[in-house]
Amino acid sequence: MSTVPIESLLHHSHLRHNSKIYRGTRSFFIPCSLNLPSHFTSNKLLHSIRTSVGASSKHRRSVAIRASSPDTAVVETSQSDDVIFKQNFPVQRIEKAEGKIYVRLKQVKEKSWELSVGSSIPGKWILHWGVSYVGDTGSEWDQPPEDMRPPGSVAIKDYAIETPLKKLSEGDSFFEVTINLNLESSVAALNFVLKDEETGAWYQHKGRDFKVPLVDDVPDNGNLIGAKKGFGAIGQLSNIPLKQDESSAEVQKKSKSSSDSTKERKSLQEFYEEMPISKCVADDNSVSVTARKCPETSKNIVSIETDLPGDVTVHWGVCKNGSKRWEIPSEPYPEETSLFKNKALRTRLQRKDDGNGSFGLFSLDGNLEGLCFVLKLNENTWLNYRGEDFYVPFLTSSSSLVGTEATEAAQVSKHTPKTDKEVSASGFTDEIITEIRNLAIDIHSHKNQKTNVKEVQENILQEIEKLAAEAYSIFRSTTPTFSEESILEAEAEKPDIKISSGTGSGFEILCQGFNWESHKSGRWYLELQEKADELASLGFTVLWLPPPTESVSPEGYMPKDLYNLNSRYGTIDELKDTVRKFHKVGIKVLGDAVLNHRCAHFKNQNGVWNLFGGRLNWDDRAVVADDPHFQGRGNKSSGDNFHAAPNIDHSQDFVRKDIKEWLCWMMEEVGYDGWRLDFVRGFWGGYVKDYMDASKPYFAVGEYWDSLSYTYGEMDYNQDAHRQRIVDWINATSGATGAFDVTTKGILHTALQKCEYWRLSDPKGKPPGVVGWWPSRAVTFIENHDTGSTQGHWRFPEGKEMQGYAYILTHPGTPAVFFDHIFSDYHPEIAALLSLRNRQKLHCRSEVNIDKSERDVYAAIIDDKVAMKIGPGHYEPPNGSKNWSVAVEGRDYKVWETS
Amino acid sequence: MEVSVIGNPQARICRAELAYRELGFRFGSGESRNRVTFCNQSSKWKEIAIRCSHRSVKCEAIVSDDAPPFLKSAPKPKSLESVKLFVGLPLDTVSDCNNVNHLKAITAGLKALKLLGVEGIELPIFWGVVEKEAAGRYEWSGYLAVAEIVKQVGLKLHASLSFHGSKHPEIGLPDWVAKIGDTEPGIYFTDRYGQQYKDCLSFAVDDVPVLGGKTPMEVYRGFCDSFKSAFSDYMGNTITGITLGLGPDGELRYPSHQHDVKRSGAGEFQCYDKHMLSALKAYAESTGNPLWGLRGPHDAPAYDQQPNSSSFFSDGGSWESQYGDFFLSWYSSLLSSHADRVLSVASSAFSGIGVPLCGKLPLLHQWHKLRSQPSELTAGFYSSNGQDRYEAIAEIFAKNSCRMIIPGMDLSDEHQSPESLSSPESLLTHIKTSCKKQGVVVSGQNSSTPVPGGFERIVENLKDGNVGIDLFTYQRMGALFFSPEHFHAFTVFVRNLSQFELSSDDKAADVEDETVSIGSGTGAPSLRTA
Repeated sequence: MSTVPIESLLHHSHLRHNSKIYRGTRSFFIPCSLNLPSHFTSNKLLHSIRTSVGASSKHRRSVAIRASSPDTAVVETSQSDDVIFKQNFPVQRIEKAEGKIYVRLKQVKEKSWELSVGSSIPGKWILHWGVSYVGDTGSEWDQPPEDMRPPGSVAIKDYAIETPLKKLSEGDSFFEVTINLNLESSVAALNFVLKDEETGAWYQHKGRDFKVPLVDDVPDNGNLIGAKKGFGAIGQLSNIPLKQDESSAEVQKKSKSSSDSTKERKSLQEFYEEMPISKCVADDNSVSVTARKCPETSKNIVSIETDLPGDVTVHWGVCKNGSKRWEIPSEPYPEETSLFKNKALRTRLQRKDDGNGSFGLFSLDGNLEGLCFVLKLNENTWLNYRGEDFYVPFLTSSSSLVGTEATEAAQVSKHTPKTDKEVSASGFTDEIITEIRNLAIDIHSHKNQKTNVKEVQENILQEIEKLAAEAYSIFRSTTPTFSEESILEAEAEKPDIKISSGTGSGFEILCQGFNWESHKSGRWYLELQEKADELASLGFTVLWLPPPTESVSPEGYMPKDLYNLNSRYGTIDELKDTVRKFHKVGIKVLGDAVLNHRCAHFKNQNGVWNLFGGRLNWDDRAVVADDPHFQGRGNKSSGDNFHAAPNIDHSQDFVRKDIKEWLCWMMEEVGYDGWRLDFVRGFWGGYVKDYMDASKPYFAVGEYWDSLSYTYGEMDYNQDAHRQRIVDWINATSGATGAFDVTTKGILHTALQKCEYWRLSDPKGKPPGVVGWWPSRAVTFIENHDTGSTQGHWRFPEGKEMQGYAYILTHPGTPAVFFDHIFSDYHPEIAALLSLRNRQKLHCRSEVNIDKSERDVYAAIIDDKVAMKIGPGHYEPPNGSKNWSVAVEGRDYKVWETS
Repeated sequence: MEVSVIGNPQARICRAELAYRELGFRFGSGESRNRVTFCNQSSKWKEIAIRCSHRSVKCEAIVSDDAPPFLKSAPKPKSLESVKLFVGLPLDTVSDCNNVNHLKAITAGLKALKLLGVEGIELPIFWGVVEKEAAGRYEWSGYLAVAEIVKQVGLKLHASLSFHGSKHPEIGLPDWVAKIGDTEPGIYFTDRYGQQYKDCLSFAVDDVPVLGGKTPMEVYRGFCDSFKSAFSDYMGNTITGITLGLGPDGELRYPSHQHDVKRSGAGEFQCYDKHMLSALKAYAESTGNPLWGLRGPHDAPAYDQQPNSSSFFSDGGSWESQYGDFFLSWYSSLLSSHADRVLSVASSAFSGIGVPLCGKLPLLHQWHKLRSQPSELTAGFYSSNGQDRYEAIAEIFAKNSCRMIIPGMDLSDEHQSPESLSSPESLLTHIKTSCKKQGVVVSGQNSSTPVPGGFERIVENLKDGNVGIDLFTYQRMGALFFSPEHFHAFTVFVRNLSQFELSSDDKAADVEDETVSIGSGTGAPSLRTA
């Protein structure tokens, strides 16, 4: 007997122990001792119990490990007077079926080949497939030509086909589908995955699609099957626990050189490959327990009935004194009872006459508190109740508790390691309870190491802080009464302590290295490389690259397979080259990470796109539940929804783990130094902190873009609420990232356009944007690929861009310059401002003193060494001890520096 | 091998449970604690002994290793250990459309509190939300949803049945009651200017069938019955306490300040509604002074006037006269009989469910240093012949087996403005002593807005061994509560509570001279070792 099942039992009892304590302490118990009076084996009782069990326990075959609906009717009510406990525990035995998937390519006759895919396990198998045509790059699928589709096929959007597998013949356990290949078409390869609609499981090949090459030069991503790959092709099937590894896998390969079909396909060879799979099938049974109090003898009579097949042994003990410790009651014991190592009793249940299950009666002394038991089916199979011992409390009164407890499926652990913690309807409580327990387990396992205890304690405190911050941010957004002072205080306390966290050196100047059209050439990375030296000499320190992943939209903001970094901007190798090149000239590189949403690969059974493929083959649990378009099974979104694609549920542990891994991989593989985070309004900032802690970026900035406030079409002077939302978000990340200062851009718009320069000073004489409140986290900008470029969603007032740059490049915050502006007529002026900023060592925390903010002019002095004015009005820096000289000058702006 | 299947799960449970204890966090075995703390002291000792014994050898190992002091465990009986901490949910947790407001925030907040070791949550349940539409039509869904969340997070729930309205946030009495009030203004408290206080029914109508043929007491009874049946699944397990609203803001008092938030004066008598006046008249006639029953005191100061500015409350003023005694006795008798009515209605409605009932008193500490103690008089606390006015109230509580909630445990004399002649500390001591005499169990609350030094003061109050306070409810969850500054202070407060208990462990387990500081430091004399 291996230790695996024990471990998993332990694991479960651990996870569940809270509720156990709960149940145990709620009830009053009365003590008792054991006896087996004959009059209680009366036919009447047995009969009634048997009937009820027969009615409630349908032997069902169902799938997955979800709780089955609770059965309530257990015992006839006619005798419930003295019934003190009755409960029907649904139990599931998970049976693992093992079998194989096979793929066979066969030549039927000259120029006629067929591909068969089959499975030896029963199920509702669907082949989900598509083809690649000659000349296709990337991993996208296309639909096969009409004549290749077997009857019964259903087209899935425009790239895939679903064909059900059919039983080869009645009585045969094999399921198979055969596709007649059309070799006249330019199909280069056939891609597929297998889906079992019964369990919802997807079967892939080495974490990717199965790919059967039909021509020679199909790029090999390690997932090819057949012909050229031979034995190496058989690998891990992703969704299933795999017992054998490839060395023992049964592989047959008949390769017979196919004579001479067509020239380009001359190497097409017949093959046959098998891969082992297993599938877990749950059997629903039930155990019903009734405890009655015998009025004459004051004994507790417990009857246990089950429809579990085969011999069932009850392994039991009794409880006294409020503890759940197993104790051996005094004799006599029921028939077929043996003492097991002085710790428990074992009683084999009697088989029922009709052969459907077994039953047993236990008579216990009236002063005992309860009966604990587990069931043993065979040497390796133990059955407990949701990870705990079954427990039958003997109450003092037969009042409220009888049968009220909701029953959930008990689980059987067999050899199969526990699949995973299935998230139940009460998702969030499970989550917290698991959290608490995990922490407790940690504590336990490190109990002798002081440091670790401390660490764990810190973890708890951090968790508490995180939750409190979340509660705070939501409460606060609904209670707009918070005064500004406290924010300023909070700011003063928090941010500037950890300068290193995602804010760079403080002297950073950002260049947005693309616009909305950059994908068009297909070689943007290469084009950008050529500009590296120039950007470095201009004085930029950080470059923001476009989103690198495979994307449904060419610009990259609709990512699909996060691990596929071949995009319209270039290949992964070109990307790496580019990063290397910029590093060489001293520029750090930011990756554009789209974490809010992700485009799905597949549809679910309702035809909704919410199943993912690629290395991160998440299912619909990764999708937030509150967007009806995508039918996610995750939790509700922690932020706003982006409606064009499934929004990722960051509250799922597996999602966060995968994203952290991905970010770290991007750091490692590509060499990124930090992140520009797309649409961070869509999820809670606390998760971003998590990601930043994991990937440790040198610099990070999030796009939190929502609308400023207007009254009757006129922008409000006070935009505190707007910047507050951005500051709240930064706060939620614990200051681990900065955010684009949308507020400043918006106010600049109105100030410049309407000649209302007074807007540029808030009531406290500070800059009115995020930069006025939390400069070290504000990334100021005047234009980006969305607001400007060819989209122009919110374009900066035309012709006034240089005033904008004169403002952001002299002011605190980290300025970002848009690519289009650098390579335009503004080039010399921007270059001069950049050079001034670097020369005077202005930085994100520089001090700004607003000297003038009137209708037509705004002027400020920064760090006592740079003076600037924008607007048509007149301004000269004060003549004092300082010697001001003009550094840059242009239309409606002027900048001075001290010499 | 097979033994381990059976034996280990339990061993693991014990250890895990112990691990919780190690951190001074309280969960896991909350139920047994509840049961115990409502019993007397001696049974508690017994319970603890039992708990230790079934906790197997493993716990010894943990106790004996040298973890940092505050991580140590092994529960020992001692005053703070038995204090269970509750936190109040926002007043507008359930909107008047029966939606749960700030659901996400509350959920996250509850998790945080659970991790922090808070025992439970106080939930204000408003009459005006549940029975909003029509008499007898109860809509519990919003509150049931909250109860379910609380249950699932594993916290306890203390339900406060509120028969009053609130201004911030605005929650009124039920619509149908307000409608009756429009045509029958006499159901509301009224001051001498004719201003009505519409957030609570007048005590004088308690037994008058003003609500569509029913008396308010009958309506309250129906409300309690409906609550009991709607929440029957939670009674005794999740719900471990029920507070009955006794007046404005749930407190047993007259709305003597109406909505005057500044409370600069002593408040005014609220005896000018139709029913009050006729009761006064009848009382005056029955005592042989019919002229005294025509109106309230003519020489009482106005809301914003100093108590001494007119003659009623001044030394030797009307309050000490025979008239004063007549009026104040009558005025306060309505208050105490109201308390008695509500509490006995509730104790009969909730008899047999094993959930303790509570009522809340105000802490009327302003002007407490004046001989007349005018704030208490206008609010209805008076006793003639120098008897203890709070003891009379406590007696009513004792009679109905109710616990008493006293707020303002965070207030200290030194932070009161000297002009207000206020003394929260001495008033609190007074009420606690009265309760002790009558055997009424006291629960604590803070005042609703944070005050400087509040947490330290609470800890001191809880440490006071004279009156064992075993339950403290901190008011109230919301943006301010979770603001970084405040929440940090709250965390420290919670830790101070547990540090207190653990530090004396330390002494027991020796560690020589190493004293562990105990939060405030001022309460050293009352520090009791096991």
